[in-house]
Amino acid sequence: MMAFFDIFQLELRALSRSWSLAMLSAASAAWMLAVPRLVVGDGTAEGMREVCLRYGLGGVMALVTISMLAAATGSLARERAAKRLQLTMVRPVRYFMIAAAKIAALASAGAAVLALACALAPFAAGTAAEGRRCVHVLHPVMPSPAEEAKAMYAEYMKSPDTPEAVKKARRSTVLRILETRAWDRYETVRTNSTARWRFRFDGVEAPRSGEVLARFRFSNVNNARQDVAGELRLGSLSAVVSNLTQAVLVFPLADRGGDAGEEGVLTFRNDGKDALMMRPRRDVELLVPADSFVWNLLRSWAEMAAVVTLVVAFGVFLSAALGRPVALFTAIVFLLVSEMSPSVVEQYPDEFGATLSDRIGLMVARTVADATHPVSSLSPLERLSRDECVEPREVVRAVAINVVALPILLAILAAFILPRKQEE
Amino acid sequence: MTMEPEIVVSLNGVSKTFRDFWLRPTVVAVDALSLGVRRGEVFGLLGPNGSGKSTTIKMILGLLSPSAGEVRLFGLGPRSVAARRRLGYLPELSYLHPFLTAAETLRYYAGLCSLPRREASRRTRELLAMVGLEEVANRPVGGFSKGMARRVALASALVGRPELLVLDEPTSGLDPISTKEVKTLVKALARGGMTVLTTSHMLADAEDICDRVMILNHGKSVAEGRVAELGTSLEEFFLAKVGDVQDFALAPFLKG
Ligand SMILES: Nc1ncnc2c1ncn2[C@@H]1O[C@H](COP(=O)(O)OP(=O)(O)OP(=O)(O)O)[C@@H](O)[C@H]1O
Ligand SMILES: [Mg+2]
Repeated sequence: MMAFFDIFQLELRALSRSWSLAMLSAASAAWMLAVPRLVVGDGTAEGMREVCLRYGLGGVMALVTISMLAAATGSLARERAAKRLQLTMVRPVRYFMIAAAKIAALASAGAAVLALACALAPFAAGTAAEGRRCVHVLHPVMPSPAEEAKAMYAEYMKSPDTPEAVKKARRSTVLRILETRAWDRYETVRTNSTARWRFRFDGVEAPRSGEVLARFRFSNVNNARQDVAGELRLGSLSAVVSNLTQAVLVFPLADRGGDAGEEGVLTFRNDGKDALMMRPRRDVELLVPADSFVWNLLRSWAEMAAVVTLVVAFGVFLSAALGRPVALFTAIVFLLVSEMSPSVVEQYPDEFGATLSDRIGLMVARTVADATHPVSSLSPLERLSRDECVEPREVVRAVAINVVALPILLAILAAFILPRKQEE
Repeated sequence: MTMEPEIVVSLNGVSKTFRDFWLRPTVVAVDALSLGVRRGEVFGLLGPNGSGKSTTIKMILGLLSPSAGEVRLFGLGPRSVAARRRLGYLPELSYLHPFLTAAETLRYYAGLCSLPRREASRRTRELLAMVGLEEVANRPVGGFSKGMARRVALASALVGRPELLVLDEPTSGLDPISTKEVKTLVKALARGGMTVLTTSHMLADAEDICDRVMILNHGKSVAEGRVAELGTSLEEFFLAKVGDVQDFALAPFLKG
């Protein structure tokens, strides 16, 4: 175990004495402070704040990811090329420890630079961070899209409207289509009728007058946003909705007297002329107060550090098996594909009418998207800039998977390869 | 022979064939080699350039896997942590981390041998004094001369108090005085009970320090014996076994 700390220290010394760490920190700090001056916002303090958080921190995140990936792909490969690795490998150290210590060192360095950038974020943003609170975003309680897809499967296959091609397709493909539909399924609220959505307030403060907001994205049957009128109710709280033309509408719910509705159920009565449509899984949300901006920033940092850790572990694993240039190239290609694949998968839920090469491309994109889901699904900055809470349980999960489980697995694989990879 | 308890290193019909990317064999570096190094002896592996000395040593250390045959180190597989705990290795070239100082280098390897911090510092001081580098202890080894780097590498091979010291050309790059010092050191370590496996081209040096030698040529053992019982000088013995100097083709250059 002591050997772990010695290798850890050696790796950090290599980074700091080559000035790489200092340069990376300086570049990150400079970027954080320069972004508000370089990027033209919409002129408001809020807009500037968003620019700082999304592009400032986002830029540093990209910089740290790429730099640490470069360092990680070199970590074992360069030492092997310089034949120094053999001097560590003939010592009584488990190969697993060599890989794990290098991952830990590079991940810590990356996390430290990210921490510096996060510490600068409130200054760079110009607006005071103190007293600012974030919100939990709650969604209606509904079966998950996957459950809904399963439930709909039999009926959908029997329906005469279902195209023959789909009926012949594999079950997994059909389920994928149905799942995408479930996400986007619209609910129609006719004139003078009332829609209801149940919410669960586990682990958050009970909704209080003036502090809870309802966020909606309405469209009418013609998909234009107009003439919205009606009333929202949540228990004893309510709000009036009228003639708003923005895409996303936020209404504070307050105690305004009148009949109390059902606890934990949000209702909307459409008093307008047109039927309205909305996707309950995407367009109906309740915002309730969470903790401060600073805590949220801290959790965002933890998520970003978790992503960097996994990227580093992947780089170290590749460098156990490959030479430096090949490892770096492979890692970058993989990173790009994994960045792109979620949107490819979203845009092309099925492969009907696709050529063979498109099909292969889709299959690759889908496999990569599944494999890299633990990383790509973490994008805390957008939520941070909108003051939406990066939920603690999500952070715990990210740490468990990206910082503990997967790096250990990759270090075990690296340890397996290390002695088998003969020096050139 | 491999069953005798005092055999520290044993090779049994070991071969190593290097292959290219397409797995076609390029060189047979070691060919059906068998040897045993006994506890407490200084064993010399001699042979001309490219005869497979370093390759043999790397297989003993578990850095290369043999294509055939079996290597045992203290009766264990060469990659077992227990075997590596009893081992010190000085590679052909020194391969140091250029950004570490001499003292940090030794402390790093002391840590890898699980020496406690206090003991590691003491051992570092002791070894730096032994190889005569106390004054440059805090200079980065990247700036060291070849001979200085060699001394750091030698000291780091000794840091874990190994039972078996594997030296690949320990005196390469050293001046005559340092060479003599290293020879004296190796003899002293051997007297203290350490087993030493060394390679060398310097036949005179090998004659001074080795108890037993094996001569390799083209990866095969061509002779083996106790130095004291050769009856001739090691050099004559060597030349007789390996064949006389294959002259460099200098003549055309000299005429011109
Ligand atoms: N990694 C390698 N890949 C391919 N061939 C190799 C490799 N290492 C060694 N060889 C070949 O194996 C043979 C033996 O090399 P080795 O380094 O063991 O010789 P040596 O006896 O140590 O020579 P020297 O006295 O010059 O150090 C040589 O022909 C060499 O070219
Ligand atoms: Mg050699």
